[in-house]
Amino acid sequence: MKKILKLLQPELFFTFLLMVLSIVIIIVSLRYGFGALRRPGPGLYPFFIGVFLILPFSIILLILGLKSKKSEPIFEKYGLRKILLMILTFILWIIAMPYLGYVIVTFVATYCFCKVMKLEGWLKPLAMSVGTALFIYLLFDYWLYIDLPRGILG
Amino acid sequence: MEGLDLLFKGFANSLTMVNLLACFIGALVGTIVGVLPGLGPTATMALMLPFTLRYSPETGLIMMAGVWFGSQYGGSTTSILVNIPGEAASVVTCIDGYQMTKKGRAGAALALVAIGSFIAGTIGIIGLQFFAPILGNAALSFGPPEYLAFMVFAFILLSNLSSDAPLKGFLMVGLGLFISSIGINPLDSYPRFTFGSNKLMLGIEFLPLAMGFFGITEILNIAVETYALPMVKKLRLKELYPNKEEIKRSISPTFRGSILGFFCGLLPGPCTVISTFISYSIEKSLSKTPQEFGKGAVEGVVGPESANNSAVMGSMIPLLTLGIPFAAPSAVMLAGLRMHHVEPGPLLFQTNPDIFWTFIAAMYLGNLMLLILNLPLVGFFGRIATLRPQMLMPFISVICLVGVYSVRNSIFDVWVMIIAGLIGYFLRKWNFPIAPFIIGVVLGPMTENSIRQTLMMFRGDMTRILDRPIALAFLSVTLAFIILRISYPFLRRRFMEKKCSTS
Repeated sequence: MKKILKLLQPELFFTFLLMVLSIVIIIVSLRYGFGALRRPGPGLYPFFIGVFLILPFSIILLILGLKSKKSEPIFEKYGLRKILLMILTFILWIIAMPYLGYVIVTFVATYCFCKVMKLEGWLKPLAMSVGTALFIYLLFDYWLYIDLPRGILG
Repeated sequence: MEGLDLLFKGFANSLTMVNLLACFIGALVGTIVGVLPGLGPTATMALMLPFTLRYSPETGLIMMAGVWFGSQYGGSTTSILVNIPGEAASVVTCIDGYQMTKKGRAGAALALVAIGSFIAGTIGIIGLQFFAPILGNAALSFGPPEYLAFMVFAFILLSNLSSDAPLKGFLMVGLGLFISSIGINPLDSYPRFTFGSNKLMLGIEFLPLAMGFFGITEILNIAVETYALPMVKKLRLKELYPNKEEIKRSISPTFRGSILGFFCGLLPGPCTVISTFISYSIEKSLSKTPQEFGKGAVEGVVGPESANNSAVMGSMIPLLTLGIPFAAPSAVMLAGLRMHHVEPGPLLFQTNPDIFWTFIAAMYLGNLMLLILNLPLVGFFGRIATLRPQMLMPFISVICLVGVYSVRNSIFDVWVMIIAGLIGYFLRKWNFPIAPFIIGVVLGPMTENSIRQTLMMFRGDMTRILDRPIALAFLSVTLAFIILRISYPFLRRRFMEKKCSTS
């Protein structure tokens, strides 16, 4: 039971997922057609990767991990709150960019990033966001001539 | 003589406004990145890739190499001044560099390192210029079995040297190779692991992966960590003059470091980092006053810093002659060249000799630029070290987003980058090395080609690879390495026991 609980530790769980992935790779590549050694099919190469690299090494790491006495706190050390806020800002940029255009979204996202990074006050982040949005606009529009979605500004 | 002609032509090509500017920007950005803790050369190079696409492949290559080169110069500045390595290859420099600062010899240390790096860079470029075409010619005779053996050699050394967890290194190589197999396989036009998604048909692009694993991961890391701001003493130009004794003591370490670094560059793995460690221990064992090491010995600063600069040039050799990158920054360079439809390898010297020679010429110029840039501006770069890295991250985050989108106008690529960045963040916390993964992705298609062609050539009988002398040589070296690696702890214990019993 203890061992199974240990498997829920993030690192070991990730290794476990890799092991599952390798089994999927092996099964799927067998379906693609293994061919023969003298006339390899499309499934042969991923099959080799699954069987000789990902599967054995993930199993070894998993066993070593389960054997080791070291146990780590599950969530504290990853700074999850900040990571989540950063990722949300990235996602905001991705989702809003096609509609609002890259200049506005870049401005908003830079402001959010500044706040997540704990830049004090509102003037510094604001100046930074205006500067960044302007720089990105000049760089892409005037220098590199790359046509990016302008959204409502277009 | 033909080489000299081509080199002059290279100088003529590199002296265009665009190339000079690319070299300057690369060198400057590289130095700044080297100075700043956090963002490393690989992340910066990946970040700058989208912007080089508008220019010729030479220009892109020059800019990338400028960044890598510059970061080796810049890395030493913070190590010496504030005891914080700007990047991994400058960790060793901290040991004696900071001690020199404490003794009031910071200026001299910085000046000697800049000059040493210049000499090492030049020696590295000369080595590259002479060896690369010769090795390129030799590599023309390489067939699929030789490439396969070479790749096995590269992957095994890479997994071992990239971190202290070789098992994780192997796993990451496997994962990288698998990622590269997603999409339509060019050999038999068969879609693999696409699970019905059209987006996956073309495979997962390298650039968003590299920007995610190096750029976004670094950004997330910096967002979470707290930095104590270092205090930097103001430097005056006249403090830069080293005294006679210091100059005398630096000459041999510079040359030793340069040659050692160049050969370390030929090893798969983080060659610049490895070269500094080896150089430091060699200098210590050769020194007449080893007790001074750790207390501000100039040899321990100049040697490693020279070594990491020439290692950059050394590691260009496998990239340019075989098309096989041995370190993460050269994997990014390879991807950059491929985006320009230039495939480095033995044929490069015949089909596109201009690229090689323009690059060599530009590196001579870039090296000079870095020397000129670094000596008078050292005070300025020292001040950059006092910037909070968090200040720059919002800007770098949006550059990543817009940059990766602009390459193919693809939102899918941006998603790939963000997911890769998030995964990379956790992988780094768990001590999984990223370089073997990224090199696995880049070399995946080549590995598959060589495996399949070798199998067809030998009609399925892989043992026939042992009949090929070059392939056999690579495989033997690999085997020797594995045996040494496994037996090392035992040998060490035996040696220590013996030592204890005799003393």
